[in-house]
Amino acid sequence: MTSNCLSDLHSTASGFSQIAWLYDKNKGDFFEKMPVSFYVWFDANMAAPLGAVLDLLEDNLNDIVFDHISPNIKSILQKNDFLKHFGFDGCVDIYNTTIQYQKMKPDDGRYFHQYVAAQFLNRAELPTMSEGLRKKMTEAMLELFVNAQIHSETKHIYTCGQFFPKRHTIEFCIADTGIGFKEKFFRRFEKTISAVDAIRWAVQDRNTTKVGIPGGIGLALLSEFVKLNQGKLQIVSGDGYYQYDSQGEKTEKLTKPFPGTAVNVAFRTDDNSNYALVSETNAADLF
Amino acid sequence: MNPIVISVFNLVGSSFCVEAKDGEAIFQAISKALQQEQVVEISFQNVEMLTSAFLNTAIGQLYRDFSEEQVRASVKVTEMADADKALLRRVIETAKLYYKDPTWLEESVKQIMGEEE
Repeated sequence: MTSNCLSDLHSTASGFSQIAWLYDKNKGDFFEKMPVSFYVWFDANMAAPLGAVLDLLEDNLNDIVFDHISPNIKSILQKNDFLKHFGFDGCVDIYNTTIQYQKMKPDDGRYFHQYVAAQFLNRAELPTMSEGLRKKMTEAMLELFVNAQIHSETKHIYTCGQFFPKRHTIEFCIADTGIGFKEKFFRRFEKTISAVDAIRWAVQDRNTTKVGIPGGIGLALLSEFVKLNQGKLQIVSGDGYYQYDSQGEKTEKLTKPFPGTAVNVAFRTDDNSNYALVSETNAADLF
Repeated sequence: MNPIVISVFNLVGSSFCVEAKDGEAIFQAISKALQQEQVVEISFQNVEMLTSAFLNTAIGQLYRDFSEEQVRASVKVTEMADADKALLRRVIETAKLYYKDPTWLEESVKQIMGEEE
């Protein structure tokens, strides 16, 4: 079998497309030796959607073999523990810029809280950020996990992140192999819409597929935070791609569907907005 | 009347109050007290992180079973960080609208279906 080449993999529509292509090309194979090679660059946070896809291919008892990994990529993927899942040793991250790759069950909520606290909230070597900013970022990661937990019907949830000091950015990605936004919308409302529209609908304030209980705030809050922070939000679900950043909303239909959902967020760490002040609210007026 | 104090940290058993199922335990405790026309103080002492999913279940649902007047008169929140108060306010506003106007969600679905055509 010829090698499946992933090259210059960034957290962009094209990067997600490469991972979706990898799955689509091999999804019908069983008991195969499946060579995969990485060239040029790999944004470490993309290990989350890649891990999700490789797990699905392994479910068909295929043997994933990394037959070429550029040295810079190998180093990144060993530092964040991704390669440990595929027969390699880990290695120490002396620059402390990785947020480890993790694979969890949806009911591993407590474990995820510890992961976020250790990898992010209580980590001294990350750049100095206001307490409000760090809390907002943590809250966003937790909301994303809970969303996957409640809505996706996935077997596992995959997370990974990376701090990019020169870009003053932290990227964090959470992926699953569940039913996706489009199917969730269909099961709730018995109506078929495109995956792009299902995502566009879900990010709007107050839109929820929950029954009998209010919701629809998590993704709306995340969009608002990303806007204030001048960061970026990307959602890939099935063949739907959605991006929101300072340029506004951008959507596209991917050529091949991603078999689940991946949400990637980029937060700016040099954001001086005072998140505590803008939020001041009198406890007596809450209800 | 002395309020009944509900410790969120103790009921959840963690400083991270994140998951909807943990919110359900808080909701059940508040509901029980309100059914008995008691005043409730929900203490967020030692709570470090909250999500909208948790608060929707813990507090948003109250507006389905109790009037706004009863909730306002009988539920107090203490020891909550300012940023979390903003989140709770958003949850409460959303819950009030959700139960007041059940057709709103259908309209929103119709709207996206209309955009599809």
